[in-house]
Amino acid sequence: MTQGTGSGVTIRNLDKRYGTRRVFEKFSLIAEPGEFVALLGPSGAGKTTLLRCVARLADPDGGEIFAAGHPMHLLLGRALRQARREIGFVFQQFNLVRRRSAIGNVLAGRLGAVPLWRVVAGRYGVEDRKSAHAALERVGLLPLATQRADRLSGGEQQRVAIARALVQRSKILLADEPVASLDPDTAESVLSLLRDIVREHRMTVLCSLHQPLLAHRFADRTCQLETLAHHDHHEDLQLTKPLPRPHDPIP
Amino acid sequence: MPVSTLPDRSQHGSAARFVAVLVVVGAFYLLCFYFAEIDLGRLWDGLPRLGRWALRAWPPNFSDLPILLTRAAETVAMATLGTTLGALIAVPLCLLAARNIAPAALYLPARWLLNILRGIDSFVFALLFVAAVGLGPFAGVLGIGVHAAGSIAKLWAEDIEVVERGPIEAAMMTGAGRLKVVFYALLPDVLPSLTSIGLYIWEFNVRASTVLGIVGAGGIGQELKSAIDLLDFPRVFAILLIILVMVTVIDQVSASVRARLS
Repeated sequence: MTQGTGSGVTIRNLDKRYGTRRVFEKFSLIAEPGEFVALLGPSGAGKTTLLRCVARLADPDGGEIFAAGHPMHLLLGRALRQARREIGFVFQQFNLVRRRSAIGNVLAGRLGAVPLWRVVAGRYGVEDRKSAHAALERVGLLPLATQRADRLSGGEQQRVAIARALVQRSKILLADEPVASLDPDTAESVLSLLRDIVREHRMTVLCSLHQPLLAHRFADRTCQLETLAHHDHHEDLQLTKPLPRPHDPIP
Repeated sequence: MPVSTLPDRSQHGSAARFVAVLVVVGAFYLLCFYFAEIDLGRLWDGLPRLGRWALRAWPPNFSDLPILLTRAAETVAMATLGTTLGALIAVPLCLLAARNIAPAALYLPARWLLNILRGIDSFVFALLFVAAVGLGPFAGVLGIGVHAAGSIAKLWAEDIEVVERGPIEAAMMTGAGRLKVVFYALLPDVLPSLTSIGLYIWEFNVRASTVLGIVGAGGIGQELKSAIDLLDFPRVFAILLIILVMVTVIDQVSASVRARLS
């Protein structure tokens, strides 16, 4: 069996339906280790669904998905949890625990690794606390470490979420419209922080974005998703036509 | 044009439906009157008797105040411990009965269990426990606890079901198992409202447990029943006043804490 590329993402012949609506049919995509792939496409094209299938937050109906060597389409229970420890996820709505502090949210990155009693007692080991501090420092939020998450601005919350993925030491980062809820300047700074961090740590990134300009500036490669249901509509063909890009081999 | 006839047709439909509903509800009420043996004549005959009793009840007889207060304390203790017992049982139950947290196979059985616990009143459970463990407030604690477990778990589960999905998914993506996710992402979010629900049920149980003495499960209800049996109305009056004060104080305390939580 092919395991896909080591710490990259391989999606082969993915099928996904919601009821009768086909979102993916025989969809394939490879992200090489350390590559930053931006997913583009109109809303409804399945950008979020694709990321959720890779994370196994949604179940694919067919095909194979390998993430960091794990066959995500096959995993369940403990094996799935083990695999997820190597997959960070950054959400459009940040998804921080609102009543926890910034540092408390960063420490979530260690949840998979520490025993339950540490989570219950909220007492993490020295190493974990050090790495959470370092991560907050890296995203420039150390001064706000003890602020409650819901008192932070959107940009700050997304930086905390990035720090969470950093502390998780994931090999793969999935980002679902990470800057869509932010103003343009903040969006740019958060995205460039994200890109710098994934480069430093050689993380493979699948990142959905609805702005082609941002995608082309920050990604190594873009992948255009098409809306299957409206395939025959002229307007949609216009929308989903791949954008011209010099070094852009779309699989 | 079909579009223009649509509103008309739906108005006709709704008028007919309104009449049908009226007929059904009316028939239901007639049946209820029949089964409840409503007889205003008997109320009319009984009113003078009630009036005489009310006159004889004045002034309230507080001569046994120490005993009555001890019984009142017993009632509060029973409600408090019963509610606490119920809350402890409700912790695992509410997780199993919350659709977004529970393993799919356990969700329905957990819901059935909740309905059984909630469907049988603490009064009835107390009756059973009096038979099982003997007279006294301990039976009341057990009765309240078992019924409250159902009520608390249902309200808690409903609270948990409307919680934001996002932070839970974020915690799942760190590789955390169900329990870690619950403690890390769910609990901080819902703890204030779960506490508020617990207090509300406690408040309710203080009122409910004033009658548990009637089945021999201790508390001030026991004094109330024997005073009524002896037609000792000044004493009944005193007991009712004590219940009123007790319930009002508990309600106020609980309400002010709940206001601070929200």
